[in-house]
Amino acid sequence: MSIRTVVLAVLLGVLAWGFWQSGDFTEIAAGVAIFLFGMMSLEQGFRTFTGGTLETLLEASTNRLWKSVGFGIASTTLMQSSTLVSLVTISFVSAQMIPLASGIGVVLGTNLGTTTGAWLIAGLGLRVNISAYAMPLLVFAIVLMFQRNKMAKGVGSILLGVGFLFLGIHYMKEGFDAFQETFDLAAYSMEGMAGLLVYIGIGMLITVIMQSSHATLLVVITALAAGQVTYENGLALAIGANLGTAVTTALGGMTAHLGGKRLAVAHVVFNVTTALVAVMFMDWLRLGVDFGGNLLGFAEDDFLLRLALFHTLFNLLGVLIFAPFTKQLASLLERHVTFVSKRTVKPQFLHKDAFKVPEVTVAAVRKEVWHLYENAFALITHGLSLRRTVVRSEQSLSDAVARTQRIMPLDIDDDYEQRIKSLQSAIVEFISESGASGDIPAAATEQLYELRHASQNIVLAVKDMKHLHKNLGRQGLSRNRAIRERYDEIRLLLAGLLREIEQLRQEEPGASTVLALDAYKVRVERFYREFSVRLEASIRERRMRGAEATSLMNDAGYAYDIARMLIEAAQILLVAKEKEVRLAQSQLALSDEEIEAAAERVSSGEERTS
Amino acid sequence: MKTKKLLSRLRDFLDAERTDQEREVDSIRQVLRELREKQRKFQAKLDDNPERDDREEIEGKLQAIRTQRQKGVERLRVLTGRQDGFKD
Repeated sequence: MSIRTVVLAVLLGVLAWGFWQSGDFTEIAAGVAIFLFGMMSLEQGFRTFTGGTLETLLEASTNRLWKSVGFGIASTTLMQSSTLVSLVTISFVSAQMIPLASGIGVVLGTNLGTTTGAWLIAGLGLRVNISAYAMPLLVFAIVLMFQRNKMAKGVGSILLGVGFLFLGIHYMKEGFDAFQETFDLAAYSMEGMAGLLVYIGIGMLITVIMQSSHATLLVVITALAAGQVTYENGLALAIGANLGTAVTTALGGMTAHLGGKRLAVAHVVFNVTTALVAVMFMDWLRLGVDFGGNLLGFAEDDFLLRLALFHTLFNLLGVLIFAPFTKQLASLLERHVTFVSKRTVKPQFLHKDAFKVPEVTVAAVRKEVWHLYENAFALITHGLSLRRTVVRSEQSLSDAVARTQRIMPLDIDDDYEQRIKSLQSAIVEFISESGASGDIPAAATEQLYELRHASQNIVLAVKDMKHLHKNLGRQGLSRNRAIRERYDEIRLLLAGLLREIEQLRQEEPGASTVLALDAYKVRVERFYREFSVRLEASIRERRMRGAEATSLMNDAGYAYDIARMLIEAAQILLVAKEKEVRLAQSQLALSDEEIEAAAERVSSGEERTS
Repeated sequence: MKTKKLLSRLRDFLDAERTDQEREVDSIRQVLRELREKQRKFQAKLDDNPERDDREEIEGKLQAIRTQRQKGVERLRVLTGRQDGFKD
């Protein structure tokens, strides 16, 4: 049993016990749950609604720091979800579509934007009877969500989110008001540095459990309004909420790509430093809040708005400290945060000793490209939702393909980084270094050039597999038989090729080994021609729609490219060692025209009669 | 003895192009032999069961091998200068 499961079981147990003991506690917990559900709905609504707007704006906000920070503030204020904005930013930084420094700018802005939540809850949520607005909002939301139009559904989700946020706040307020009559949490308040640190810890814990600093602030502000926590402890809880966000970001960042990890580290550094500064200058900050509160006309005992102001001020302080150094922070992270995952495949055969003898260099590179191929083989086989043992066995591939019940989930992007790109980079670097290390005969240079070409083909095949896998996930097991059959053909073509290459590798290498793959080129050519004919027939017979046929045609194109790329790579890898045999093999290899002609003859049935 | 060895090396050097050609001819013959053997094997599979599931696949292989063999024979003709038929 994992720690996660134990923690979950304990949490559920504690909640159940709490519900048994106190109806007020149930109301408070239900308020938090409804609030969190509202946030999820809001996030989902914005996801369908933005339809790329968020991404377009993010891309446009990269050239200046103020733009990135402004984007972070505005988008988080609007959506009330720093998680959504952070996730989109992480994906952009990971894909290197925006530089890390801009990503950091957005994260700074997000932290400031999230403070608007406290203002909304303190300023509006607890003063106005917002539950009165929640009910109509929920009704409108559900009506809209029943519509077929995507935009209407998106608006419905957003309204549903806002409705539930309001309702959650209402229940929390009611719960704490009732709780106040029976139990006084404020009796546990602590003063001084110890109180500060303990309550920071509690705020952090609540945020980590609820995965939302917004929800923590809601709890803190409503508890403060009901007099269940003191103002001093409330401030500490707010700092803890910020730290809790850093923990959740760090956990999220662990699964991200390198760029995302760096951004997550930046987020943690920012939040921890800001919290430290806030603790160190607590008295100054409180003076600032008093001064600002008086300036804005807050009443002396209006601790709710003062807490919201404190939350904004200390985050603003953090932004002001970090903003001038985003570029430096980015370059520091780029230098020092170079996570090498345990899963990253390392080259096995590239040792610099090999540079001494050109033939050894070529042999080492050839073995490493085979190593790269093996990784691509695993990735492509799983991408086709087949097992490697099946492809390597004598079992019927058509049966295995037809029997497939589910498309294997696969993070091809991650696997590509860890298992393909890392190896290819090592191969390319090794080849370049070998050239610089001394005189290499022309024949060896040519072979190294070809091996580099082979590695490039393998990489391209994996990239195409990424697109194909995405569509296989959507349509590969379609209930429409015509579509399923076409996808099965695509899978069978590639699985057959992988098996053919495996068999050739296992065979005793002969003078004609490499030429055997020409026959598969003929098969690939025939597949592509006949596939289009069958698709046209399916459209004519109304067995599938035009759009479905177009997607299938694109996927057939991917399969064609993957197959051609793998064949070319395997032909380079399987080529004979002896120069003369290599020459003979190249003389007899079929040209593209000859392959097309052979495919034509087999398709037309000429082969049977010849 | 030394002179004889030197003369032999000189002859090899002058004859390098011819030696390369001979080696290429040998290699093509070797490839053609293997291809003929493969063709015979595939043809036998088809003759045993003409309606087998992988018939088209085998036909494709046969088609590729035939074309490769034709190309090999052509190349041999060019290299050896023989115009008459080759038995590969």
